[in-house]
Amino acid sequence: MKKLLSLLIAAVLVLTCFAGCGEEKPTLKVYNAGEYMDMNLKSKFEKEYNCSIIYETFDSNETMYTKIQSGESYDILIPSDYMVERLIKEDYLQPIDKSLITNMDAVIPDILGKDYDPEGEYTVPYFWGSVGILYDTTVVDEADVKEGWDLLLNEKYSDEIYMYDSERDSFMIALKALGYSMNTDNPDELNAAYEWLINQKAKVNPVYVGDEVIDNMISGNKAIAIVYSGDASYIMTENPDLNYTMPDQGTNIWYDSMVITKNCQNTDLAHKFIDFMLREENALSNTEVVGYSSSVKSVFETMQKDVYAGIGAYVPRTDYEKDEVFRYQSPETKKLCAELWTKVKSK
Amino acid sequence: MRHFKNLVRPYLVWSFLIIVIPLFLIFMYAVTTNGNSLINIQFTLDNFKKFIEPVYITVFMKSIKLGAITVAICLILGYALAFIISKFKEKTQDILILFVTVPMWINMLLRTYAWMSLLSDNGVVNSLLGFLGIDPIKMMYTDFSVIVGLVCNFLPFMIIPIHTSLAKMDKSLIEASYDLGANPVQTFFKVIFKLSLPGVVNGVIMVFLLSISTFVIPKLLGGGQFVLIGNLIENQFISVGDWNFGSAVSLILAIIILVLISVMKKLDIDGMQKGA
Repeated sequence: MKKLLSLLIAAVLVLTCFAGCGEEKPTLKVYNAGEYMDMNLKSKFEKEYNCSIIYETFDSNETMYTKIQSGESYDILIPSDYMVERLIKEDYLQPIDKSLITNMDAVIPDILGKDYDPEGEYTVPYFWGSVGILYDTTVVDEADVKEGWDLLLNEKYSDEIYMYDSERDSFMIALKALGYSMNTDNPDELNAAYEWLINQKAKVNPVYVGDEVIDNMISGNKAIAIVYSGDASYIMTENPDLNYTMPDQGTNIWYDSMVITKNCQNTDLAHKFIDFMLREENALSNTEVVGYSSSVKSVFETMQKDVYAGIGAYVPRTDYEKDEVFRYQSPETKKLCAELWTKVKSK
Repeated sequence: MRHFKNLVRPYLVWSFLIIVIPLFLIFMYAVTTNGNSLINIQFTLDNFKKFIEPVYITVFMKSIKLGAITVAICLILGYALAFIISKFKEKTQDILILFVTVPMWINMLLRTYAWMSLLSDNGVVNSLLGFLGIDPIKMMYTDFSVIVGLVCNFLPFMIIPIHTSLAKMDKSLIEASYDLGANPVQTFFKVIFKLSLPGVVNGVIMVFLLSISTFVIPKLLGGGQFVLIGNLIENQFISVGDWNFGSAVSLILAIIILVLISVMKKLDIDGMQKGA
């Protein structure tokens, strides 16, 4: 009797399992940075196209690259400029059929055709922005803010500084503070940047954090933080004491794009997803939730008058000659930076 | 019984797949250059030489130091708790041990996030202090916050083995000790502690292993500049992409842990022999 019963249960279990798998929906695997999409859009897309999205997140472009390299396959990635360049060079991406992207005309023309993908073959812009200093106006002197990146060396604010736990961004700051290009290949300049970061560590004892910086700055735990412009916009709507500045020494202007991988399983659906994200109402809710600057022109303009009115961080600086976009680093430079960065953090 | 022997085979295949092969791969990565390409393997010891640089030795010493402090605190707290628990009725003991494991029902990350909001500069603890008129104390991103996180996460691993060996101890030996005129302090150190040594050794090994190889807790409670050996390995794999050096460090860590365990086990056996 007992045997019969267990057999029956097993049969039921197996059958219900098949019932679940019965209606096979097309799936799309999306790999995006953390806290970087309005999750309502995911369910909206799933409903509209009767499919399911497997949505995974990474905490840095490098993490994403490691995962891709180790053989994990995704349909859509949302990496930054220099990583797109690397992925194109190493043949991980396939061209996007622009005739399927009906909303392409809505994209701000100024942010297209940048050096990482001059012909715009592989990418459709997702969000864009700058890197800058977020500071508490009740603690930090306006005169000190004029120092630009050197504010981060000011001993007055020792123990009050959050740096961003990212190799390229930290080296960017040091290189710009010293007046070098952030895309330098010169080992002497990189070593000087390393010394700058070590010196900063000794002088003001900064804390290197990731996304925790958002909550920490909202509750005002420290006075100064390095943040991306979009996080700054969001934080500033929550904590009005804060202000955002892009230093005169120049900063990094970045563009994150949607790309389709070479081994994409469902290119048709992938194109639909990209088109969907550019649709005005979707782009609007996305930028409103996330806080980053939209790549859709009408949305970008509406938000400046609306939710992010008066918040300078929402509008990245354009056409400032000292600003730069990250470029692909040669393997030798990458290796040197990685080694110096490990040392900066371990010191 | 004989025909059951065949049932072991799948397990052998399994352990070969998930233990032997990965270990072999780590070893191969550690002694070669050239990232992931298998075509032109070049053997080298550079990855190990790199570890001798002062920066990495400092990281290593810091990990050992923090591991030792965590073990010491866990041992004192854990032994006291296990000892108190073992004094209760058997039924009550079961419930109390269940309570010890309650924190483990919640994911380690969530517990660590809770500590972050407790210890941060404007966090719960500092608000309470402010309420009492005490100046806020800087606790987040220091050795203190990391040690608090480690102790809280790993304390159960110390309590449970110690409690097990205290609970199954032969109580007549303690009575005999009193009968022979020993006072409670003498009884504790000469009889109870010695008999509980296997539990202590197991607890110490477990807590030390967990705290020396952890990387999430120091990252969240200590910040990105708080680099322990686990973080060093994680960085090499995730953000730096130097799998060879990462594997070399993992291998060094594994060897040191093996040596420590065998030393501890030997201590355990010696202790038992003297006790007996």
